[in-house]
Amino acid sequence: MMKKILNSIGNYFKEFGTAVAKGDIWVKLSLIWMGAGYIARKQIINGIIMTLLEAVFTIMCVGYAAPNLAKFGTLGTVQFEQVFDPLTLTSTVNDYDNSFLILLNSIISLFLIVVFVIVYIANVKTVYRLQQTKENGRHINNFREDIRALFNEKFHITLLTLPCIGVVLMNILPILVLIAVAFTNYDQQHMPPSALFTWVGFKNFKSLFTNSTTITFGYSFGKILIWTLEWAVLATFTTYIGGILLAKFINNKATKWPKFWRTLFIIAIAVPQFVTLLLVRNFFADSGIVNTICANIGLTDFLKKIGLVASHLTYIPFLTDPNWAKIMIVLINIWVGVPYQMLIATGVLMNIPEDQIESARIDGANSFQIFAKITMPYMLFVTGPALITDFVKNINNFNVIYLLTQDVFVTSDQMLANSNAKEVDLLVTWLFRLTNEYYNYKMASVIGIFVFIICAAFTLITFTRTIKGDKEDQFR
Amino acid sequence: MKKQVRFVLRHVVLLLLAVIWLVPIVWLVVTSFSGYKGINTAHFFPQTWSLDNYITLFLKPDSVVQYQAWFTNTLVIAIFTCIISTVLVLMVAYTMSCLRFKGRKGLMSFSIILNMFPGVLSMIAVYFILKSLGLTNSHVGMIIVYSAGAGLGFLIAKGFMDTISVSLREAARLEGASEAQIFWKIVIPLSKPIIVYTVISSFLVPWGDFVFAKLILNSGISSDWTVAIGLYNMLNKSLINKYFSIFCAGGVVVSIPISILFVIMQKFYVEGITGGSVKG
Amino acid sequence: MKKKLLASLLTLSMVAAMLTGCGGAAKEEAPADTTEAATEEAAPAEETTEAAESTEAADPVANLIAATTDTVSLTVWASEEDHTLTTELLEKFKAQYPDVTFDIKLGSESESTAKDTVLTDVEAAADVYAFADDQINELVAAGALQAVSATYTYDVAAENVAGAVEAATVDGTLYAYPMTADNGYFMFYDSSVFTEDDVQSLEKMIEVADAAGKKIGMDISNGWYIYSFFQGAGYDLTLNDDGVTNSCTWNAEGAVDVAQAIMDLCATGVLVDMGDEEMATAIAEGTVVAAVNGTWRAETASDAWGENYAATKLPTFEVAGEAKQMSSYSGYKLIGVNPYSKNVGWSMLLAEFLTNAESQAARFEARGLGPANIEVASSQAVQENPAIAALAAQAAYATPQRVGGNFWTPAETLGQILASGNPDGTDLQTLLDTTVEGITAPVQ
Repeated sequence: MMKKILNSIGNYFKEFGTAVAKGDIWVKLSLIWMGAGYIARKQIINGIIMTLLEAVFTIMCVGYAAPNLAKFGTLGTVQFEQVFDPLTLTSTVNDYDNSFLILLNSIISLFLIVVFVIVYIANVKTVYRLQQTKENGRHINNFREDIRALFNEKFHITLLTLPCIGVVLMNILPILVLIAVAFTNYDQQHMPPSALFTWVGFKNFKSLFTNSTTITFGYSFGKILIWTLEWAVLATFTTYIGGILLAKFINNKATKWPKFWRTLFIIAIAVPQFVTLLLVRNFFADSGIVNTICANIGLTDFLKKIGLVASHLTYIPFLTDPNWAKIMIVLINIWVGVPYQMLIATGVLMNIPEDQIESARIDGANSFQIFAKITMPYMLFVTGPALITDFVKNINNFNVIYLLTQDVFVTSDQMLANSNAKEVDLLVTWLFRLTNEYYNYKMASVIGIFVFIICAAFTLITFTRTIKGDKEDQFR
Repeated sequence: MKKQVRFVLRHVVLLLLAVIWLVPIVWLVVTSFSGYKGINTAHFFPQTWSLDNYITLFLKPDSVVQYQAWFTNTLVIAIFTCIISTVLVLMVAYTMSCLRFKGRKGLMSFSIILNMFPGVLSMIAVYFILKSLGLTNSHVGMIIVYSAGAGLGFLIAKGFMDTISVSLREAARLEGASEAQIFWKIVIPLSKPIIVYTVISSFLVPWGDFVFAKLILNSGISSDWTVAIGLYNMLNKSLINKYFSIFCAGGVVVSIPISILFVIMQKFYVEGITGGSVKG
Repeated sequence: MKKKLLASLLTLSMVAAMLTGCGGAAKEEAPADTTEAATEEAAPAEETTEAAESTEAADPVANLIAATTDTVSLTVWASEEDHTLTTELLEKFKAQYPDVTFDIKLGSESESTAKDTVLTDVEAAADVYAFADDQINELVAAGALQAVSATYTYDVAAENVAGAVEAATVDGTLYAYPMTADNGYFMFYDSSVFTEDDVQSLEKMIEVADAAGKKIGMDISNGWYIYSFFQGAGYDLTLNDDGVTNSCTWNAEGAVDVAQAIMDLCATGVLVDMGDEEMATAIAEGTVVAAVNGTWRAETASDAWGENYAATKLPTFEVAGEAKQMSSYSGYKLIGVNPYSKNVGWSMLLAEFLTNAESQAARFEARGLGPANIEVASSQAVQENPAIAALAAQAAYATPQRVGGNFWTPAETLGQILASGNPDGTDLQTLLDTTVEGITAPVQ
């Protein structure tokens, strides 16, 4: 695998070398003037486009990339200064550096430069290939033919361009910025535009694994990581199993009006999540309606007696006690997630091969055995990949945790409190509050990188199997 | 006899479950008709009933409640989001499913991983990128945030397209159709269910997001907001006691169209996800 | 055959898109923006200096009016409850300068959360915004407040109460315009349950409330409120000279008694730890008959208790058998000007207008908010308001709020642990030690 990659990289540069070495004067001229090779082969429009590209790139380099990249090493040195003139009520501002914009623009510049280098190398190779084509006396496409090819054998390029631009803009560049910020001291003490921030190397990564009296990130990271994984496993399996059971229960021949029952459950999830979750949070508040009912029917006192609720409390701390909150969150997530899973399970169960079940029944298997031996394996086979996707999504289940605990849950663990974490936080909600409430961008970025690595690892495990196996074509 | 007991028992259990699932929804609906503006903590059903909350929503906007403006904003954003997202998803799905080119699998793995990356992690960078494009506090910016990365969510649509038989495309190709024509004239018409699914699911995104909306529409002008931020804002500490029942009414109103769409969508959702998983 | 060429072609369009899109815009955005703003503002400045020399040199406001040719676009942030009043005030402000065209937008941002939105992106924040005085340090540190280096329509420092001016001052520089002087807390009570003597001591109040089967509400799991116990018993929390870190003696000898006292009070089940919104509901429903809260709850309380609505200073509480007067934070609401505003001059004039005596009087009339203006505060109507009178009585025991950001979370957690009866059974001294460690932790 590794060797294959190295080989292809080797080939990539070798082809470039060959093109430069064996190319004629036009190919060599293309090293400086990118359009040269095309114009020599009468592909005038292509030549003009490449020339324009080169010109635009040069202007970009001089006007945009160079000034930003020049400051990339320090992320700026000129502090914001302002002088207010009380006589005219105006203020003058110096030509200050904004570290974040320098960082952002530098990353965009670097990205463009890398893209350009790839284009540049490809250009030389293409020009060389044109030369060969001509030498062999074969046909060279004119511009119209090139365009036509874009809707035929090169159709994938046409289709992917727009999505790629979007993804670069909204996914790739932000992730690159996030990674870069993890190596800076960008936090509330160093917030542009009024202050500058700069590179600090691996310091933040060290903090994440440090556990001292003043830095408790190590402790919090460990605790939250464990809860995140616990939660992801619990949330995924409870809803998955719950969904299958509910689907089987409703689809059972003995159940009357299955459609009606299904619709009832669907109503519960059709209401937007943020509405239901915020509602449920108030529903289970310490002085909320559920607590009033529990107190009236004596449940609160009963729980007090058996020690599940601290004796001095007059309410059940559904969402305010760490243990209660964790259980409640999982239960509420079942409430939110089971109907979805039921829908999917219903769809899959309908496709289950009837003959297998029949023959098993003839062999004397009871319904539990059928469920365990036939239904479940089939379900797992079909929904396995979706299950892993759900697992990763639960690792990042921001909505459920944030909406249920924000402004309600207060941590009672001082070590967690010192790094602005809570027992019920997932990595993703911790990170969100670090950025949103404490402006600790540097630590949030480090955590973000770890979240990304964890998710990528789980995703890779599932999908390389399915993608690599190339089962795609078998089924047609 | 035993059979009848089991029959009754089965339906009692179902009823019980259904009640558990519906209690919060019922609470939402009844509270939206409450005459008391705050959270009713002593009684499940409101003690005074009134239509005031709905009247405030639609007829008497105040500094907190700009429901009509929010609804229009969200609707516009949602319409554009769903058009752009659907186009992007279909483009990527078709490429990945029906075309064969160098680096396809690598690209697929890469985008699947990228898609797993939650937007929350990099929202500050997204904000500043939009700001340098001059798109903060604009609905265009919101549309870009919701739809630009949509291409990554191609997996379900791809799974569906994988089920479209190759021979159809082969036949068309033999008749001299270009790949673009095959895309338009054969694959797209056959993908209706998955198009409906993609349209609806991307349409629903702006209705439920409050994180990005809050970050990007940060001028504080409440008439620029979307429904989600507007409703979220009503539960602010200083407002919740005067606006909780209006929040519920607002929740009910957004839920109605969304529920309808959701019910339509769920059929295709199941088809898409199961079809996609069998193949992928 | 020419796959690569086409790849290049498309990349060209992509690169072009990127260049014309983010590249170009970003380039203009960065340093150019500020120089532009600077020159733009410098140019009229020169003009007016010339004009000023020839005509009326002493009147900067006239200069500003003369220098303003374009529409003045401003954004103002005020809390939702303040919108009706602020809209009226803005109209009056516009009427005062008939020669200038204004485009003033009013946005919603609660004073208590203004900092959160402002700090995320100072440049995008409103030109003029209201905030609670506890945020001033962080706002100044982030460069989000324009120093009030000159005043034009009234003397901010002289006309407002000293405490308010102090609250708006950081390191000897005035950074904001005091708007209200009522952002502290005190005790609301239902006088049909408590007598005036009862409310002198928390223990007595608990006894009376318990007998009536009612509760007393206080947001104990909140640094802002739990401060009242420790400060009242003489344990200090102060901001260091660096303006970000804290000094704290909450773990000094004898402080465990305070922690024990809080636990004991909560263990009665009568003093209940509840957040503001819960408290409001509980007051409205009649389960809570006394509450430690601020003027913003005055309406809720007077609606619920009617004639029996009363307010007073905080009571005493017993620490190791000795009665200590509960302390509190005195709080103010301030209006600040964003230094990144395109119209700093007009923003300052508007901020002055929104906080002048007339506007403060209007604010008291419309919303019952306690004025910071000395003259308005001494008017009879203000003096007769129970909530404001209680606040004034509490003022003797109140301290201005000067704390670094690391105080809140550990203190909140301490409150949570004490209010829930120390469920883990941690040694109280250890508990306080950890809390103080968190509070005094250096800012990384």
